[in-house]
Parts: sequence; C-alpha cells; structure tokens
Amino acid sequence: MDATTGGVADASDEAEDPTRRRESAPEETTKVLRVRNLRKTYGRGDGAVTAVDDISLDVERGSVVGLLGPNGAGKTTTIKSMLGLVIPSGGTVEIAGVDVHEDARRAYRHVGATLEGARNVYWRLTVRENVEFFASLGGRDPEDVRERYESLLEQFDLAAKADETVNDLSRGMKQKVTLVCTLARGTDVVFLDEPTLGLDVESSLELRRELRALADRESITVVLSSHDMDVVEDLCERVVVMNDGKIVADDSVENLVGVFGTQSYRITVAGPIPESVRERLCTEYDAEEFERVGEGERFEVTLTDADDLYEVFDALRADDCSLDGVTATDPDLEDVFLELTNGERERGDDRGDAEGGPATDERTATEKVAEGPR
Amino acid sequence: MSDHLTLFRAIAKKKVVLLVRYPVNTLSQFVSIYALFAVIFFGGKAVAGPALTDSIGGIIVGFFLFTAAIVAYSGLSWNMTREAQWGTLEQLFMSPLGFGTVVSTKVVVNVLYSILWSAFILALMLVTSGESLALDVLTVGPLLVLSLASAVGVGFAFGGLALLYKRIENAFQLVQWVFIGFIGAPVGRYELLGWLPLAQGSHLLQRAMRDGVRLWEFPASELGLLVATALGYLALGYLLFHRAQRRARHHGVLGHY
Repeated sequence: MDATTGGVADASDEAEDPTRRRESAPEETTKVLRVRNLRKTYGRGDGAVTAVDDISLDVERGSVVGLLGPNGAGKTTTIKSMLGLVIPSGGTVEIAGVDVHEDARRAYRHVGATLEGARNVYWRLTVRENVEFFASLGGRDPEDVRERYESLLEQFDLAAKADETVNDLSRGMKQKVTLVCTLARGTDVVFLDEPTLGLDVESSLELRRELRALADRESITVVLSSHDMDVVEDLCERVVVMNDGKIVADDSVENLVGVFGTQSYRITVAGPIPESVRERLCTEYDAEEFERVGEGERFEVTLTDADDLYEVFDALRADDCSLDGVTATDPDLEDVFLELTNGERERGDDRGDAEGGPATDERTATEKVAEGPR
Repeated sequence: MSDHLTLFRAIAKKKVVLLVRYPVNTLSQFVSIYALFAVIFFGGKAVAGPALTDSIGGIIVGFFLFTAAIVAYSGLSWNMTREAQWGTLEQLFMSPLGFGTVVSTKVVVNVLYSILWSAFILALMLVTSGESLALDVLTVGPLLVLSLASAVGVGFAFGGLALLYKRIENAFQLVQWVFIGFIGAPVGRYELLGWLPLAQGSHLLQRAMRDGVRLWEFPASELGLLVATALGYLALGYLLFHRAQRRARHHGVLGHY
C-alpha cells in the first residue's frame, strides 16, 4: 500500500490548522518528512532479508506520527534509513526538503533523534553537561539554547537534578535526559525510537504525559516508533502500522479503531443453551467460548454491527432462553494492531499454501483500512 | 568556523571534566605507565648495570613517544567501540558538522592530551633516572606531532574496524605492542624501516633529544620521509575509516554493539 495515496489520515486538516504550524523557512513545506519507495535488503541471494519493503509516506509539520509494529517489522531499520544511519537499497528520504542521503549534514540541522531509550547520552557527565555537549555537537552554542533547555529541564522535572551525573539517575530520568538533549536544539523533526523501552508503568505514563504536553504546546513534529500500543495511542494522531517491512495501515488512531469497530459481547443465559441454538449461534454469529456458569451458560460473540446483537437475542428468545446478562468490551488500538498484523500474516500463509483454493470475498485487514468503514 | 570552535570546546571540556571527576582512574593510568618505566629502569639497572645507564636516554625518548602514541591511538580506536557501547556513536554521526569533523576534532583533542600526558611522564622519567635530554620545543614539538600523525592514522584504521566488527579490543592491545617494534626499529641501519608508522619519527626524536640536533639541521630527505609517512598514514587511515563507516551503515551495524 502506498501510504501517500492510500489510507493516510486526512493530513490536509492538520496542515490547515494554523495552531499546528511553525514559522516556515524558505525551503520548508507543510511536509517536513517525505519518504519515497524506501527499501532495505540485507544480504544477497537466497539469504537476503528485506527489512523495509517499498515504503512511502509523508509527515506533515507539527504532527505526531507513530510507527507501530511487532518485533522485526522493520521499524528501527526504517527510522535509521530515514536518518541516514542505514544506507537504503533504494528510495529517497527528504527532511525539510533536504535529501538525507545526498546532503546529510544539511539535513541533520533539521532533525534530532533519540534511539533505543536511555542510551544516547554520557552517563558520567551531568545532565547539564550532556545537554550542552549535544547542543554543541548539533552546531548550536549552548548559551543560545540555554533558555530552551532550562525550560525543558523544568518541564521534564529534571531541574533539580541538572548537576547530577546521569549515572546516578533512575532509568526513567535517564530517558528524560536523552529526550531533553534531543529536544534542546529545537529541530524541525524529532525521531523517538522506543522512548519508553524498559520503563516501569509509572515512569512510562509520566514520560508519555510530558511528551504529550510538549507536543501540544510546541506543535513539534515527532516520528515515534514503539511496540507499545498505549504509547502510540496516547501520543500520536496518526499511526503507521508496519509488518514484514511493509506499511499495512496508515491512518488516524480514531479511524483505525473505527474501521475495525467490532464489538465483543459476553452473553450469559439463565439456563443451558439447546444444541440447535448453539449451532445457529456458531454458524451465523461465530459464537465461541461456551462455558457453564452455575445453572446457566455463557458465550462470546464479536459483531461488526450493533443491530446484530438484537438478532442474537431473538435467536435465544426463539428457544425460550432467557438472558441473564450482557457485557461489552470496547476495541482498542491493540485489537486493531493484532487484526492487522495477524491478518497480513494469515493472508501471506494463504497465498503460500492455497493457490487455486476457494475464492473468498472477505476483505483483508489492509483492504479494510484502504476502503474505510462500511 | 564558530561551530567548529564550539565543538572543539565541548569535546575538550568533556575530556577535562572526566579527568578531574574521576581522579583515581586518571591517576591509575598515569601510575601504570610510570610503573612500566620504573620496572624497566630499576630492573634493568639491577641486571645490566652500566650497560643500561648508557642507553637510558634512548629508552626515555622511546618511552616518551610510546606513551604519546598509545594515548593518541587508543583515544580513537577504543573510543569508537565505547561510543557504540554507550549508544552515542549514532548521535556523533548525526552531527550537522559531519561525522568526519567530529572524529577529527576528537583526534586533535586527543593528540593535545597525549602530548601533555607524555610530557608529564617524560618529566617524571628524567627525575627518576637523573638523565638530561635536549628539549628544544621548536624541534621536539613538530617531530612529535608528525610522529603521532602516523599513530593516529593507525587509530583511524582500527577505529573503522571497530565500527564494523565492534569487539576487537584484543587486536587494539596487540597493536599497542607492535608500536614498540615500530619505535625501536633500527632506521639508522635500515632506512627502509623509516616507512613504518612511528619509526622515522622515533629515529629523528632520538637524535633531536639525545644528540641535540635541531629541526632545521636534519637533512631535508629525512624530514621529507617523516612528513610523507605522517600524511600518508593519516590519509590512508582516514580513508579506511570513511569506507568502514559507509560499510557499517550499509550493513546497518553503525550503532550496534
């Protein structure tokens, strides 16, 4: 799927929102990151592994985009290829209009990155020394960015620790230090690869809260990769889901959850369910997980249309099964993600072993995203 | 230009901060180098007696150059491995000033540091042995810097290998001992040996510091060989380093450890 034409979230809405824009330099467009047909294959011949498979996407200035995928999906290789840290096998990457692989030094003026969590800084230096060192490395005089980094230290609750060596800080704080070092330069785009990796729940929540506040206040452009659905759901307006090196979905969190807006219900019946009803429930509604609950019985159905629930009730009533209770569970990004990645995998398997098999009119996960909600 | 100056200041400051913040580490490095000299000097004196006294000047000059070369070389090769371990290598690569500029600035800071370091060791060796040497700064300074350039070239080459293969610390250590062979090479007898890294520099430093020969008193051919080896090894090392970083990026292993 070409994300530039397919299921990209309505990016123009964001571009038209003046609060999400930054002051523009002459070379700047609303698309601060432009990736075209990016490919990366490691090795040659039979042993070749394609880590990134023809990816294209645009990122609008001021948006927070999440790159989501299971381990080995190609997220890190994609990010490193976008940053010029990996030389791709093909394709182009432009940051603020500058080709990263043609003119890396100029492109690096517009980008900062935190890769793999708490690393990226010198643990034997203090927080302040790190921030100043990396500002200098980024071609900025530490004095010029002092006001900005002092404010970031305040916001990330590091002001009191500014003169402590990073080694003495907790893991969560170390990760905050790497973020402050990356953000202090005030670049156009910030890449965050697994920013909450290895953090406990509380630290992860805190970091997400602070990142969200920063994204809202400064309207910075962030490309964030994570395998943690909560991080992406909390921080990102748009999600690019990767699997096996490909983009399998690219849309807003809201739309994705809407597309896969299935609802699971757990239905409890007062007495045992007759075999004929059970058969009908299984055949017509894919009911599953039948289990005895006291005198009654419970089962689960997953429905795409809420009206179907009434049909299930009717089917039960027809055989005098009285309802004892119904509970619903909301879908979240994790359900969407699993459906997308598992769906893609199953589709791959089907292609491999069912050539010439029965035709099916069921839409795949990717097709659902491309077509939108029915 | 001011960007480069800012970068130089930042790298130099980091070096100084770490030296001062971890004095035991700094001192132990200093003591271990001095202890090696003390073992050679006092042990040799006990075993060889006057024979050692006759050659102590040469040993001191050799040790002086060895110390400086090791500090300059290892500051680059070991540093690449450590930066990869720390996860800071990719940050250095993404500097808008250029990875080459960042690494070269580190080299300049390292060479200055190695000169200071070896000067301290030299002073201590002279005090310990009671020996005196000609220390004309205008002669020793350029000769030392040109000698170190070839060591830095070797450092670049091994730094490049470190980017690709990471765990090659044993090879680094081996090279340090090979340096002793280069420094002790009998260039006076076999001129061709002057093409080895450090060898010509060591030969000229010996004559400058032991015999008091001034820089402008050396034959142009001998100085020319020193300049050629200095620039040649430096350029070759940097070229290998550059190719290695491209290869590391091609294989996606730049920041891996």
